[in-house]
Amino acid sequence: MIVLFALVVAILFGTGAYLMLKRDLIRVVAGIILISNAVILFIIAAGLTRGRAPIYPLPEGEPISDPLVQAMALTAIVISFGITALLLSLVYRVYTTRETVDKEDLSLAEAEDERQLEVERRA
Amino acid sequence: MLVLPLAIVWLAAVPLALLDGRRRWVGWLAVAALGAGFLAMLRLAVAVFARGPVELVAGGWPAEVGITLRADALGVTFAVLSIGVLLAALAYETLGGVHERALPALVLFLATGLTGLFLTGDAFNFYVFFEIAMTSSFVLAGYGRRTRELRAALIFTVVNLLGSTLFLSGIAALYHVTGTLDMRGIATWAGVADQNSVLLIATIIFVAFGIKVGLFPFHFWLPPVYRDTWPAVAAILSGALANIGSYGLIRFGADLLPRELRFAAPALLILGAASVLYGALQAVAVRTASEALAYSAISNAGYILIALGIGGPAGYAAAILFAVVNSLNKTVLFLAAGLRGWLVSAAFAIGAFSVAGVPPSAGFFGKAALFRGGIAPDDPALSVALVALLFVGGALAFVYMFQIYQRDFWEREGAGQTSGIGSRILVLGLAGLVVAFGVWPEPLLAVSQQAAGVLNGGRP
Repeated sequence: MIVLFALVVAILFGTGAYLMLKRDLIRVVAGIILISNAVILFIIAAGLTRGRAPIYPLPEGEPISDPLVQAMALTAIVISFGITALLLSLVYRVYTTRETVDKEDLSLAEAEDERQLEVERRA
Repeated sequence: MLVLPLAIVWLAAVPLALLDGRRRWVGWLAVAALGAGFLAMLRLAVAVFARGPVELVAGGWPAEVGITLRADALGVTFAVLSIGVLLAALAYETLGGVHERALPALVLFLATGLTGLFLTGDAFNFYVFFEIAMTSSFVLAGYGRRTRELRAALIFTVVNLLGSTLFLSGIAALYHVTGTLDMRGIATWAGVADQNSVLLIATIIFVAFGIKVGLFPFHFWLPPVYRDTWPAVAAILSGALANIGSYGLIRFGADLLPRELRFAAPALLILGAASVLYGALQAVAVRTASEALAYSAISNAGYILIALGIGGPAGYAAAILFAVVNSLNKTVLFLAAGLRGWLVSAAFAIGAFSVAGVPPSAGFFGKAALFRGGIAPDDPALSVALVALLFVGGALAFVYMFQIYQRDFWEREGAGQTSGIGSRILVLGLAGLVVAFGVWPEPLLAVSQQAAGVLNGGRP
């Protein structure tokens, strides 16, 4: 079970890291979503006990799973949801001002702006 | 009393988020709320320094079960400092005219996150407040009228999110190894756990905070962000938000995992030295003031790491003192760099001297504390290397700060529009504080020693 968890976390994290290095900003956001989900899975895997759902009444004589990691995972899910919305709105604002979500095009547009500013300053 | 500073800013932030922050009275309302939070924080700090730590278990749960809020000397020092910096930056921006409606509320939310994380005694709660602070700062980084801020905000968000997720996995792993989220419990159980696994976790947490504070191998995001954000926001990021990184390094390193910190001391010294030299050399090479200040921030983060690597009560006290002084310096410099006029150049010069460590500025005592900690009688080679590094770093700082001063304030004297008198007096007042701490450093020294005394690794 632990090996399976480790494998899934590793694949999710690796895929996310790969996507983060892409030029397209939407893929970068997707990469971040994958990485935060990998970490949430990691939190679940860090639980101290495994077993039945920790709901009252607790089953007699059977192991129950650690409720604390589930609470932590829930908090982390909410936070990563909020952050994802924020990131997407940032990307959208980039798109409305620059009309592109490609990192290379953005750098080019920026360099052009800098040049314009320099010309204005000289004049 | 512990909840009051947190509650004031949090409750004020929510209605302010609905108001239009561009109106002047809303801005001043936010300043007043933050000021009230600052006073409550000061009161708490005085009580903590006089009578020892204050503790509270949230929701009336028994200790060890509920989430603990704990104010000790280290936490309140950083909290007072950060809220003070936020207050100055918000007053500065209100004086100059806010031009986005959400700014005052965002600064208050940031203050909430910072207060919470400095006053919590629970590792996961630390992460939650940390995210509140980070999320507000992500939005703040996009503040401004230019399109450049947008790209800066994007870089800042992506890199720091990666840092936050790393930190979260570090917390989860700590929980698995120690079986608790309470910081005191972690400190107890991590000391007896398997050193290899704790060392791995300590490395993850170190990388997470290293990204936050902008240490040498993780600094790549910092220069473009500090260069392209609005001056008041740059002051907030480097004066208040970077404190999370230095506080985190001190708290998680020297307090929770002191055994691992001692083990990694040589690596910390090397990374710190690399940070100091790299930041200073780059700062000499770049041309714009804000970029040079960004590299200077990298360089100064290195000093904190060196102080942690030296270790012991003297080293930790030096780290805290240096973090406090550095945060004040950066606030003065970033705010002054956005203004024009003769009072401002005086303020900038004071900040510059403080970064270079010239008396009678507060920076001198930061450097002096490092010297005192760095001279180890049993290891002459290390002492010589450290003293040489401090000299070289100080000399380079003098060169790059003077370069900025010459280019931005001397040559352009009289050029450009003079800024409003209110913002100029505010910046000069902050600079006056830097000089005051330099002329009368005893309170600051006592505070840093007492704060270092609460650390598990800082007891003699």
